Amino acid sequence: MFAQLVVSGIGQGSIYALVALGMTILFRVTTVVNFAHGELFMAGAFLIYALLNALGVPYAAAALAALLFLFLFGNAVERLLMRPLANAPHLSLAMMTVALSYLLRGGVRFLWGGNVRSLPPMFSFAPIEVGPVVIDAQDAVIIASTAALLVLFFALMRYSRFGKEAQAVTDSTRGAALVGINVAAFQRTMWGVAAMVAAVASILVAPETMLYPDMGARVLLRAFAAMTLGGFGSLGGAVAGGILMGIIEQLAGGYVSTAMIDIASYIVIIAVLLLRPSGLFGRAEVVRV
Amino acid sequence: MSTTILVAAPAKTTDARAEHSPTRGIAWNLARRVALALCAFCLFWLLAPFAAQAADPGVTKTAIKIGIFGPLSGPAAAFGQGALGIAAIYKDLNAHGGIYGRKIEIYMEDTGCNTAKGIAAVKKLVSFDHVFMLNGGFCSDVVMALKPSLAKIGIPFMDGGAADTRISKPLAANIFQPIFTTEAFARSEIDFALSKPGPKRIAIISQSDEWGKSGHDPAVDELAKHHLKPVADVIMERGSIDATPQVLQLKAAKPSFIITVLYPAPFAIFLRDAAKYGLTTPVIGSQAIGIEDAARQLKNPLEMNRVYVFYPLAAPIGSPKMAKWEAIFKKYNPRVRTVTFAFIAMGGTEAVIAALKKAGPEPTRAKVIAALDGLYHFNSGVLSAPISFSPTNHAGVSGGAMITYVHNKLVVVRRYQQAPK
Repeated sequence: MFAQLVVSGIGQGSIYALVALGMTILFRVTTVVNFAHGELFMAGAFLIYALLNALGVPYAAAALAALLFLFLFGNAVERLLMRPLANAPHLSLAMMTVALSYLLRGGVRFLWGGNVRSLPPMFSFAPIEVGPVVIDAQDAVIIASTAALLVLFFALMRYSRFGKEAQAVTDSTRGAALVGINVAAFQRTMWGVAAMVAAVASILVAPETMLYPDMGARVLLRAFAAMTLGGFGSLGGAVAGGILMGIIEQLAGGYVSTAMIDIASYIVIIAVLLLRPSGLFGRAEVVRV
Repeated sequence: MSTTILVAAPAKTTDARAEHSPTRGIAWNLARRVALALCAFCLFWLLAPFAAQAADPGVTKTAIKIGIFGPLSGPAAAFGQGALGIAAIYKDLNAHGGIYGRKIEIYMEDTGCNTAKGIAAVKKLVSFDHVFMLNGGFCSDVVMALKPSLAKIGIPFMDGGAADTRISKPLAANIFQPIFTTEAFARSEIDFALSKPGPKRIAIISQSDEWGKSGHDPAVDELAKHHLKPVADVIMERGSIDATPQVLQLKAAKPSFIITVLYPAPFAIFLRDAAKYGLTTPVIGSQAIGIEDAARQLKNPLEMNRVYVFYPLAAPIGSPKMAKWEAIFKKYNPRVRTVTFAFIAMGGTEAVIAALKKAGPEPTRAKVIAALDGLYHFNSGVLSAPISFSPTNHAGVSGGAMITYVHNKLVVVRRYQQAPK
């Protein structure tokens, strides 16, 4: 049972990691915690559902459409909702994302109602059985995709001009603008990219879970706990935190009590904030005075 | 006030006339008194309906205001279809002329299956919209939180689909529960599971909320009556997206039957993970589950052959017996994909209509409550069992059916006229 719980925890944690990764990318560049990220994930899933069921579009085409749509939607959110608040306090920006999350949830509920729906599996491979351990094909794809995305973004941030620009914008928007970076366009693009990562999560995760307008809220909380555990702003931390969260939940549910599954993330948030506020992979902020 | 002035003014004249002719004066006084009495009678007769309205708000000459509340949003929004079903029945009634010339005016509020939101919603319906009665409430937590205040106000309340036994026990004079209660359901499912040949190893998976507990605890008590304990007793929360730990624990316990007290979303996820990890034990779902919907959500619908669901409706959705109800629902909710819950509250709503008719052209809350108390063996046509209320019993439905898929077709495997004692 232990091995199965750990394997399942890695699969489950990869879902949290995928969502946390999208939130971290945006946080690194804009320092905005996007509370609507769970709803972007949900909206992507419903878009795929609509394209598959209403228009009979193949899964691959529906997935591509979801990626493109959410990229554009992310851009639009930055341009229309966030930029007008550029000089507002952080709390206003956070509240705007909360409002957006409710708007998206309400919109989806208006269009599809509150019923639980499901997407067909992306792959029809049989589960892989290693001794007594069952590895679902979909889980394996989620784990691999999360790892690939982590490597991609890590490389981008570390070795590319894009990464250096991102660092510059994070450190000082005014300084970045002075050296010729189009900060507004950069932030708009990053909103698009983060939303696109939410779409990736939708494509991979939605066939595993059920679709309903509130599906993003729970995943968002776990992703938040993962970011706290791994360290806010750390890409590797978000992924490691997500996977650790998944394993902790599964082991707590399997060996302590199934009632612990839901509270494990809250316990993690409290413990990390008390013992290591910067998270496992985060660095304490050092300010020169 | 004006009447007093008019009468007082000519007093002197009267006295003067009386001085001229005493007989004429007496006659005049008598006539005046008769006229005053007539005026008072007419005034009383004219104002009586308004006086009644002041006592019981929500009834006008043309309308009866009814408040509907349910989870139209939130994780339990699937149950909101029940509220839409109630509204569809009233709209259909209006389309057929209403009751004694009055149309039903619907006021609908969302509870989000959240206690605080539910209390606010009902407060608005009662204090602001001044509804005559309430029909709805699909989450036991919400209805249980409302029960004390509703009982105090005395407004007639027909529960939509909240099944917690404590809603009707202890009895509140104005609260009616026209569905199978969790206690009766627990007795039926344990009876069903134990009736199967083989080892009697029952496991339970339930939500930890009020509704979950109201299904879980009576099932454990019922097992105890048979000197049994659940071989595994695990929790799965409403918003869960994975059931691996629960499935592994259940599998390790080797149960012969699994009782589930889960909402549709966690139920579907549980079934998926059970299939994934090779847990093939038969499963019983509560009346909250739409078996047709659960079948749609499984990767392999054949896995539904081991799933039994307590079915509250007269017949499976799509069958000729349900055609009338489906047509009514679809007429007013054309874009909604129907599930079992869309129809579960229609029986209670039909009972409300019957009571309003029985209450006569001048309905009062007391008359409606009395009419509901007298409802015996009322066949709503939509529920699998008749509804019977009495002044000492407001749990109106005591029967139902257990159904499953056999060769991809829904089949009733057992019918309960009365829940096992």
